[in-house]
Amino acid sequence: MDDVVVVGGGTGGTLAANVLASLLAREIDRGEASVTLYSDTAQHVFQPANLDIAFKGAEPRKYIRDERKLLDRRVKLINEGVDRVDLGNRRVYTETGRSQNYSYLIIATGSQADPSLIHGLAESAYNFHTGPWDAAKLWDALKKFERGKVVLAIAGVPHKCPPAPTEAMFLLDEYFRKRGIRDRVELTFLTPYPHAYPSKPIADVVEPLLEKRAVNVNTFFNLESVDSVKKKVYSLEGDEVEYDLLIAIPPHRGSKLAVKSEIGDRDGWIPADKHTMKVADYDEVFAIGDATSIPISKSGVVAHLQAGIVAQNIAAEIKGHDGHKRFNGRINCPLEVGGGRALFVVGTYERQPMPMKPTRVKYLMKKSFASIYWLMLSGRLEWLFNLYFREG
Amino acid sequence: MSQQRRIIDSRGSFCPGPLTDLFKAYREAKNGDILELWATDPAAKSDVQAWAKKTGNVVEEVVEEQGYVRIVVRVAGKGG
Repeated sequence: MDDVVVVGGGTGGTLAANVLASLLAREIDRGEASVTLYSDTAQHVFQPANLDIAFKGAEPRKYIRDERKLLDRRVKLINEGVDRVDLGNRRVYTETGRSQNYSYLIIATGSQADPSLIHGLAESAYNFHTGPWDAAKLWDALKKFERGKVVLAIAGVPHKCPPAPTEAMFLLDEYFRKRGIRDRVELTFLTPYPHAYPSKPIADVVEPLLEKRAVNVNTFFNLESVDSVKKKVYSLEGDEVEYDLLIAIPPHRGSKLAVKSEIGDRDGWIPADKHTMKVADYDEVFAIGDATSIPISKSGVVAHLQAGIVAQNIAAEIKGHDGHKRFNGRINCPLEVGGGRALFVVGTYERQPMPMKPTRVKYLMKKSFASIYWLMLSGRLEWLFNLYFREG
Repeated sequence: MSQQRRIIDSRGSFCPGPLTDLFKAYREAKNGDILELWATDPAAKSDVQAWAKKTGNVVEEVVEEQGYVRIVVRVAGKGG
C-alpha cells in the first residue's frame, strides 16, 4: 500500500493531490494506494486577486471556494493543520494529536506574511498579502483617501509574488487618476532593491513608466520600523519617510511545521533540490512552492509547475515507470502596468528575465487566468500548461 | 560584543536572489560585522557596490573565484 500525504491546501498542494489521484486512480480504487491532503483551512483563496480587491474594489467572495469541491473524490481531505513531521519514521502529526504514516510526503505549506515581524507595522500599515479580507480593508481606506502621501514599502524579503509591489504602484496611480485626484496624492515606493523591479531587464521597462506617472521610487530602503504616531517609516540606516497612508508588503516566513520538525532554516524555509524538490537525505519527501528555500520566486506558477512534476514522479515510481521529470526553474509572472496593459516576467534557472513590452494581449492573458484557475487545480489542464511552458 | 563573520552562499541564484540573501543577513547584523556574499549572478557585484555606496556600508573586497564572485562587506551603515 502506497500512502501519499500532502500537507497544505494551496495551489501546489491541491494540484499535486489531484494529479496524483488522477494518475493513481486504478491503484486507489483497488486499495493499493491512497492520497490524503491535510489543510488547516476549509477554504481555498485565489491569491492573485488580492491586487484587484485592494486596488479595484473586486469582491473577495468571488475568489474563495470550498477546498473539498476542488478536490478529486479519490483525495481524502482532512481539515487539520499538521503540527510536525517525523521524517525518520515517515509519520505526520496533526495539531489535534492525530498521526499517520506515509510512503511519500509532499510539503506544500506555503509562506506566511507576518506584519508582527517589524516593529510598528501591524498597527500602522494596510496590506494585501494576509488575505482577501485585509485587501478589502485597503480598498476601503483608499476610497476615503482625499489627499496626501501614500507610501508602499517592501518590509522584508523574500516575499510572495515579486511583481506585486511594482504592480501596486501602477494600480494606485490609475485609481487616483480615475478619481481625478492624482495631483493631490504623492505616491512613493520604498524598495530594498536597486531598481523598481528586482530584475534589471524588467526594471528597464517599468522605471520609465513609473517616472512618467510621477511615482517616486526610493531604492535600497530596508525598512526597520514604523512609528504610527509620527506617521514615519525608518530604514535600517536611520533614513525616514513620512506617510499619510502606509501600505506594506509584510515580511514573510515559512511554516512553523518546518521549524518544529527541524527540517527548515530559522525562518522556516525548507531546503530542497531545485530540480527534483526532494528534501535532502529523504528520497520520499518533497517540498514545493513558497515553502522551500529554493532560489526562485515565491509564486503560484512555481508551485504549479513543481506540484505537477513531483506528482508525476511519485506516480511513476509507484507504478514502476521510468522517466523522472525535472524542474528547470521556469517563472511566468504577470505584471500589470495600468491602462489595461501587462507584461510577463519570464525566465528559468539558466535564463534571466528579458525585457518585454506591456501589451493588451498580456493583460487579457492575466485576466483570463483568474477564470481558469479553478479548473487548473483539477489537473485536467496540465496538458495545455505543459504545452505552453514547453513552447513559451 | 565581538564582530561576526558570515558567509552567504547565493551561488546558482539569479537576481534578486543574492541581494535577498544579503539583506536577510544584513538585517540581523550589527556595525562591524563582516558579510561575505558568494554569487554567480553577474549583476551581484554592481548591485552590492551600489547598495553599499548608498547605505554607508563598505565593500572591502571583491574577489573573482573560479566560477563565482566573493564580495566582502563590512557593515557600517546601520543607524541608531
